[in-house]
Amino acid sequence: MSYTIRIQLLGLFVQVAVVVVCCFTDIETGPGASVSLQTNGDRFKIEGRAIVPGVKTQDWVSAARVLVEGEEYVGFLRMDGSFAVNDVPSGSYVVEVVTPTYKFEPVRVDITSKGKMRARVVNYIKTSEVIRQPYPLQIRSVGTHVYFMKRETWGWTDFLMNPMVMMMLLPLLIIVLLPKVVNTNDPEMRKEMEQSMNMLNPNPELPDVSELMTKLFSGSKGSSKAGSSSKGTRPAAKRR
Amino acid sequence: MTKLVLLCLKCIILCSTIEAVFEDQVGKFDWRQQYVGKVRFSHFDIHVQSSKKVLLATEKNVFAALNTRTGELFWRHVDKAGPEGNIDALLQHGQDAVLVIGNGRLLRSWETNVGGLNWEVVLDPGSFQSACLVGQQDTVKYMAVQKKTAISLHYLSNGHQRWIENLPESETVDYQAVYSGGNGEVYVLGVVPHSHITIVAYSVDDGEIIKQISVKAPWLSSIRASCTVVGQGMLTCVDSATASFYMLDLHVQPQMTQISLQSLGLDIYPGFRPGLLSTQPNPARPPLSEFFLQLGSEHYLLLQLNNGQIVSLRDFKPAMLASFATTGEKTVAVVMSPKNRTACSVNLFSADTGRRLLDTTLIFNIDPNGGKPEKLYVQAFLKKDDSVGYRVMVQTEDHTLTFIQQPGRVMWTREEALSDVVTMEMVDLPLTGTQAELEGEFGKKADGLMPMVMKRLCSQLILLQAWTAHLWKLFYNARKPRSQVKNDVTIENLSRDEFNLQKMMVMVTASGKLFGIDSKTGNILWRHYLDNIPPNAAFKLMVQRTTAHFPHPPQCTLLIKDKDSGLATLHVFNPIFGRKSHITPPALPQPILQSLMLPLMDQDYAKVLLLIDDQFKVSTFPSTKNVLQQLQEMASSIFFYLVDSSQGKLSGYRLRKDLSTELIWEVIIPAEAQRIVSVKGKRPSEHVHSQGRVMGDRSVLYKYLNPNLLAVVTESTDLHQERSFVGILLLDGVTGRIIHEAVQRKARGPVHVVHSENWVVYEYWSTKSRRNEFSVIELYEGMELYNSTAFSSLDRPHAPQVLQQSYIFPSSISTMEATLTEKGITSRHLLIGLPAGGILSLPKMFLDPRRPEIVSEQSREENLIPYSPELLIRTEWFVNYNQTVSRVRGIYTAPSGLESTCLVVAYGLDIYHTRVYPSKQFDVLKDDYDYMLISSVLFALFFATMISKRLAEVKLLNRAWR
Repeated sequence: MSYTIRIQLLGLFVQVAVVVVCCFTDIETGPGASVSLQTNGDRFKIEGRAIVPGVKTQDWVSAARVLVEGEEYVGFLRMDGSFAVNDVPSGSYVVEVVTPTYKFEPVRVDITSKGKMRARVVNYIKTSEVIRQPYPLQIRSVGTHVYFMKRETWGWTDFLMNPMVMMMLLPLLIIVLLPKVVNTNDPEMRKEMEQSMNMLNPNPELPDVSELMTKLFSGSKGSSKAGSSSKGTRPAAKRR
Repeated sequence: MTKLVLLCLKCIILCSTIEAVFEDQVGKFDWRQQYVGKVRFSHFDIHVQSSKKVLLATEKNVFAALNTRTGELFWRHVDKAGPEGNIDALLQHGQDAVLVIGNGRLLRSWETNVGGLNWEVVLDPGSFQSACLVGQQDTVKYMAVQKKTAISLHYLSNGHQRWIENLPESETVDYQAVYSGGNGEVYVLGVVPHSHITIVAYSVDDGEIIKQISVKAPWLSSIRASCTVVGQGMLTCVDSATASFYMLDLHVQPQMTQISLQSLGLDIYPGFRPGLLSTQPNPARPPLSEFFLQLGSEHYLLLQLNNGQIVSLRDFKPAMLASFATTGEKTVAVVMSPKNRTACSVNLFSADTGRRLLDTTLIFNIDPNGGKPEKLYVQAFLKKDDSVGYRVMVQTEDHTLTFIQQPGRVMWTREEALSDVVTMEMVDLPLTGTQAELEGEFGKKADGLMPMVMKRLCSQLILLQAWTAHLWKLFYNARKPRSQVKNDVTIENLSRDEFNLQKMMVMVTASGKLFGIDSKTGNILWRHYLDNIPPNAAFKLMVQRTTAHFPHPPQCTLLIKDKDSGLATLHVFNPIFGRKSHITPPALPQPILQSLMLPLMDQDYAKVLLLIDDQFKVSTFPSTKNVLQQLQEMASSIFFYLVDSSQGKLSGYRLRKDLSTELIWEVIIPAEAQRIVSVKGKRPSEHVHSQGRVMGDRSVLYKYLNPNLLAVVTESTDLHQERSFVGILLLDGVTGRIIHEAVQRKARGPVHVVHSENWVVYEYWSTKSRRNEFSVIELYEGMELYNSTAFSSLDRPHAPQVLQQSYIFPSSISTMEATLTEKGITSRHLLIGLPAGGILSLPKMFLDPRRPEIVSEQSREENLIPYSPELLIRTEWFVNYNQTVSRVRGIYTAPSGLESTCLVVAYGLDIYHTRVYPSKQFDVLKDDYDYMLISSVLFALFFATMISKRLAEVKLLNRAWR
């Protein structure tokens, strides 16, 4: 018991150490140095660039906006796809480029009170996790938004692949094809089949249910059997 | 790991079952209208001769370009709402438009062709006063921005600052305007009220003060209101007290000359502040020497400055609006004058002579249900014969823009009041005459067998006739090309469709204009402008009588309350036609605290509106004897509550038999610690179909369905991120009993709440984790129902079981509402307006506090989704696909005649209407239903049976022959 606790503690310690290391590395490679410290009081500027590969910027920039933490701060895109959101106080913000057509991943930007910036992947569950991203932001479109469901179209393959149809078709195939594949006239084969039938019927002494039933009914109606047989012969005689 | 995979798989399966829009459904039953708001600045693109673009900067912080041919948007940029996105000035130069934003905080230059940003710069803080373009030697390269204490010059090409200078003596002098005549100098005009004018001239090149003069002007209080620069730098002011002009040459002498208006043969109307209007067509050149003087509310004069003398060119009386327009080298004066009661005429006059130009009259018809014209924007252009042609955009008091071509053809109108919808209702359309006839047959008392049969035959005959007419019309239209088929919906042919999917949307806007919009097409069917609305009015729209009570007309009542004084007025109207009702509503002399619709009806089937004034006296509308009698009988079961958020007090009252009121409970929420943000009850029109939920073991968990339950949301007054919290209080509105209380620590607003059935969903901002979170509270009675026949707040001994669960939501939200259907059988979705413009339809299934952390057999049986902390936003769930709705302010949901279908209207800057099917369309055939397949299969089977029958016969015959 105490052992497991110790392991947990150890794990925790390792985690703490990792977090601490993370912090240190952050400070060392702080990107703030590269940022032009354009401070207006305590207001800062988030800069970056949005890229849609293979599409001319003028086709989509007029419908795009940069939203910082919802609509708290709004920025617009320049003709080359770059943007700057001015007048943002220090804090941590989720920066999103929104267009009706193209999809961009949001980025979390942290601004210290001195104006140092860093960008990282948004993780709402582990909020302190740091996976660094370049700053000034480089936000690349990850494709277009999918708004529509595909209509189910009716095709023969869909029909054939339907499990119900498969269940119907397979036995049909077996019934039709199996007698052709297996030569029933071959005596050896017949013997083999009989054997396998016997295998299926584990106890040969046990009377067959159907047989039993027929016996039961025929036994009670023994007299009628003779009558019916006589009846059966009559039309044959007539035909002649 | 496998568990996780399974979980994911399950999620995917569940997600895939949820309805999304199909691509071929686009525009089939949804529509969007985009607005920009009340126009503050407008410029026609005169750079290109054949341009069809007009730039608008509005009070909603929107900058947009409209197509002048159709009135549609080319592009639109929606900035942050509030004062930080406020557009202070719009300057246009060639292809670029420069905006001054947020009290001079930002300069933004837009490329007007594509609508992309050229540059954006931040200015030093300071209160913005004015801005102008600065030209030099016929080219415009700079712009000057003048603030209270400083002036700066910026390059138009990149926004960089060329120089910034502090204004001298800015503590005493109020600098209000900046002027540049294109001679390399920038003048800043300031005034010390009732003392003197200060003029400072700066050099464009280096910002050096060239000269600084001050001139005595004890009569002047504001330069902006009464002065303008005319001609070759002549500052001209008009003063109503001394009834004279004062003129000062900015370049030469430091002395004012006074010209009395009487010497021009003019009189000033007592009490009217005259105004001046001049024009500077090219910023690199001085303004024209012609200018307008407004003497009265309907009196304008066109004057000319000629060698220091003022000459009157033309007197316009009566004239409502006047303006200048320039094309090429020609400048014209445009004057709108009233023609008769319903129309105005607009005329062009030559600016330098005041002569009327021939064939330039344009008639503008004033909408009797609209406002008066307020502003005139003129687009002038040169015709082929070098004469001036023009089009005008008229802005009226009700924010409507009308674009008119000669001789009065309205090219388009935009109802910009709809950018600010405050509240709305959806009203069923009336039945057609024939339908009403049929309905009436069942209503009447039976008068014998034969007459009934005859009547029935008659009505069936009428139906047959209508049907053949409809068929004929279909046939007739089918031969025409599709574009010619007129599918206009007018008030005359409005009628309810078979599933009641088409309704009348009654929208109330902040400007006081009411609209009736057809929900199927989005056409505005009626409009009505209420012109006596106080600027900060609160509105409450109520449907007193629906269309179900033929022949009584439907009736809506709008309660308009002045937020300052609390005084209220009622506007009673017919929601289908928009006409004011002949019923005179009672005058309300006392401030109104609360209003409520009672389920009572008077003898004319109008629901009773109860109004409580600040003396706690009750008045009713309608207040007939019948109503009062019914009210006395009902009085013991009528309770109401009042909220005083400033004191943090909730109080419940009871109505007595003599229609006085009695305080029965009071809940105090200490106002110093927290404040009440919102109080939400349930919607009275809501139906709940199932009383409970069937559990995995086949027992039933009964819902706590208290119709009197109120959800009270509070926010802490302390906004420190460690100490702030959000509280939610579930309170019985009749007894004041607190059912449940929950506090979300380290959280702050804005809180959005939806309260329905037995659940409350709310959204808040978690300051600790810096994310948006959803929380859901569900209330259950337990395994047994206390009194299953009726719910009474007064007799409910057991406290309900409360379940709560919270989730992370990866976006902030603008507004939230739940879907509503006719009988409440369909599962519920939450409709969430996102700031990015999407409207997310999130199944309530994901917000279920019974979602288990560990999957068990029972939870699987119940179809519960295993708990995952993060809710997903899938774009397939956007009900408005790429038709984004900007600044969603509210979402209105209404049931339709089909149980599966809920009608949704999202309003904000835009209006969007669609239908949603939370449990798919289970009660009608889907629109992609394959009629071809089903009929071909049927035919195939039919023929197969025929053939096989024949074959069987042949076979039997053959066997018989053997």
